Amino acid sequence: MSVGDRVRDRARSALERLVAASATERALISFASLVLAVVIGTVIVLVGGRMTTCETAAFYLGHPRPFGFPQLFRIGFCYDPVLVFDRLFIGALGDPLKRGWGPFTPFTGGPINPFRAGYDPLNAQMANTLKETTILVFTGLSVALAFRAGIFNIGTQGQMLVGGLATAVSVLWVSSLVSGLVGTLALIPLGLLVGALFGGLYGAVPGALKAYADANEVITTIMLNFVATGVILYLVRDVFKDPDSFANQTVPLPDYALFPSLVFPSTSNFSIAALAFAVVCVFALYYLLTRTAYGYDIRTSGIQPAAAEYGGVDAKRTIVTSMSLSGALAGLGGAVYVLMVLGNYQTGVPAYGFDGITVAILAGNNPLGVGFAAFLFGILKSGTLVVQFSTDVPPQLVGVLRGLIILFVAMPEFFRLIGRRVLPAEPDRPGGTAVATDGGREPDPAAHQDAAASGGEDR
Amino acid sequence: MSVRSALPSALDFDAVDLGRRGFLAVVTIGSLLGLGALGVVFPGSIFGTLLEVIFAKGTIGSALRRSTPIVLAAIGGIFAEKSGVINIGLEGLLIISAFTAIYAMELSNNLWVAFFVAVVASTVLALLFAVVCIEFRADQIIAGLAVWLIALGLAPFASQVIYGAPNTDTVRTPPGMNEVLEGLPVVGDAISTLGGLVGDTLTFVGGLPVVGGLFHASVVVVVGALVEADVGVYLMFLMVALSWYLLYRTRFGRWVRASGENPKALDTAGVSVTRVRYAAVLLSGVFSGMGGAALSLSLGQFTGNGQTMVNGKGFIAIVAYLFGNYNPVGAFFSTLLFGGLDAVQTNLQNVDIGVPSPLVRVIPFVMVIVVLALVGRTRIPSAAGEHYESGEE
Repeated sequence: MSVGDRVRDRARSALERLVAASATERALISFASLVLAVVIGTVIVLVGGRMTTCETAAFYLGHPRPFGFPQLFRIGFCYDPVLVFDRLFIGALGDPLKRGWGPFTPFTGGPINPFRAGYDPLNAQMANTLKETTILVFTGLSVALAFRAGIFNIGTQGQMLVGGLATAVSVLWVSSLVSGLVGTLALIPLGLLVGALFGGLYGAVPGALKAYADANEVITTIMLNFVATGVILYLVRDVFKDPDSFANQTVPLPDYALFPSLVFPSTSNFSIAALAFAVVCVFALYYLLTRTAYGYDIRTSGIQPAAAEYGGVDAKRTIVTSMSLSGALAGLGGAVYVLMVLGNYQTGVPAYGFDGITVAILAGNNPLGVGFAAFLFGILKSGTLVVQFSTDVPPQLVGVLRGLIILFVAMPEFFRLIGRRVLPAEPDRPGGTAVATDGGREPDPAAHQDAAASGGEDR
Repeated sequence: MSVRSALPSALDFDAVDLGRRGFLAVVTIGSLLGLGALGVVFPGSIFGTLLEVIFAKGTIGSALRRSTPIVLAAIGGIFAEKSGVINIGLEGLLIISAFTAIYAMELSNNLWVAFFVAVVASTVLALLFAVVCIEFRADQIIAGLAVWLIALGLAPFASQVIYGAPNTDTVRTPPGMNEVLEGLPVVGDAISTLGGLVGDTLTFVGGLPVVGGLFHASVVVVVGALVEADVGVYLMFLMVALSWYLLYRTRFGRWVRASGENPKALDTAGVSVTRVRYAAVLLSGVFSGMGGAALSLSLGQFTGNGQTMVNGKGFIAIVAYLFGNYNPVGAFFSTLLFGGLDAVQTNLQNVDIGVPSPLVRVIPFVMVIVVLALVGRTRIPSAAGEHYESGEE
């Protein structure tokens, strides 16, 4: 057994222990982050509700009144935080629960069934949530894969745009050759393939710049986002523009070239087939990362580049290929966005790429976690519309919540500190890692012991 | 072979780096001069148009104005990163201070108060970032991203709450330097007399054929831009000088640099790494706050749609200080290059040069990528991004 093989084996076993130990903890931290973000969001809603003016207060806070104790004072707020979060989370699913949330009012009689009678899970709002989820799965996977290779791909947005435009243009060219069901079966795979290809090529650029010119990928990808936006605006405005439209958009694709809506209402721009494809991608990436030699190369390069290279991994090639793959996933997101939501390419695509960063961070860069995180952010995005529609609270609140969630996810030590206060300290716990930009480097064991020791003294 | 390439090339990097950087500077200046010569010789060609745009009176003034928030944020970023904390949240600090400056200006109608409140707001957010990174050992990049996202949501949220729209009402803008000087009792008179005299001379020299053109380009335009610049631009000049002095000529500056390069040594010398890092991150908040205030106050309004009015300036600031090799003066010049490109492309959009405006708009970004590919990576402080745990607790 060569030295390289031994290094590989040791790294692999360390990796596996690390993953097993930290998966639960990460899930817990992500959940706690969400709860904390909602708590702080409530405070922000209340403060905002005091700063703005309104005719009648939507929400009152006062002291409890036991035994008919008179109300001495109470404060009115213009915004109702309970309503906001109710609309945000439950409204996004199309109101599956009864008003007043069923289980919390058990004394009102009747069996406890929290679900609203006549709730149809295939409603338009749910379709909207799943539509957002589908796109976010792709951008989330894109960022997560790059993270695992130790690369911070902020360029997912640009790669997605490039892939989307390439799909819209190429499918339009080919669509006149085929039609009907055959057209659907031929054009959708073609569109996805072209989207992935062009997204991948655009992702390979910062990868190559990092590998061969040592250019910081954070900066190049940010710059390439601006470049993609500018060049695509030019292309859509001057080259591929639909002559019958005033807006900057390409010629609409025929219906048979788009994802069929299947079980959801056809007006919802959502296809369960696209979601199924996204789920397949989640598992495929999980398999790639955990069960293949190439995935192993990616992970070791992310955690310990020097060791990876010592073990025979070509670092430069890994950087370029993982960035290409990451770009391809982003390009797939763009392709799905064109073939499912838009039906052509239009400028002004929402910032799914940036949301993909938050999805990946919340998921701890685990592909399976990306599925859940994308669903959560799908709810947040689609719930924003419900909040805007049914309350006076500015929808930008959701942006703040997103930032807060990421902030808390970034500081697992905060939760560990609380955990140590509440639970007895475990002297020999394996170093759980939070999500990190270096793909989850193992923390310095000495530092960890120090922390554990000081935690012990605190008690 | 693999061992050799696995070793960080930090040791020989400094020497190569300076050479490459210098080479690049020479190439840049050379090509600019070449372009200028072509423009003078063939005034009708595209180079002539370019030259005209570059030396149009508005371009330099606009380059300076555009550079102000970026340079100030970059200075902030330098302090944080030199101390070992990578602050990618500069964008968020700019956003929050740009908004609070306008709100405070409207409440108080006093520039100084507005400025001060904006700096405080940005510093508070920086404090949050510092606590999260230093106390709770958060991943600095992710925490910085969170700071950006929080500010990106919070400022438009507050604007919506207070003004009922993502954009605020407009407020009075700060005066230009000429107005400030003319407002002073004796100096004002002297300046206007002097200005008249100088103006006459300039008109005379400017009237001469070739010499006049060059003279006009180099002196009149630059001086004119400086005289009309608002106080924010002068604040930027002052802060560039001050921060350079602070970082390279004081004991505190030495601590900051040591804290990023070799925290253990600093710790051994009896200086608290944690405290130095807190101070440096708070300073990044102070400088970014100045930048955000200068940005929104100079326009008299905060616009909060999409990426807000800050629109990536915080990220460009990071690019600027990396180019400038963590030197405030270097950051200033690289920003000026970028701000200049940006101003030129804006003016180019008005002049027809046969290139569509969306493509002209990407020139500065392509330039950054090209330069970055040529210069390669800057040597970041060796302990940047890492949490430091003192041995004694």
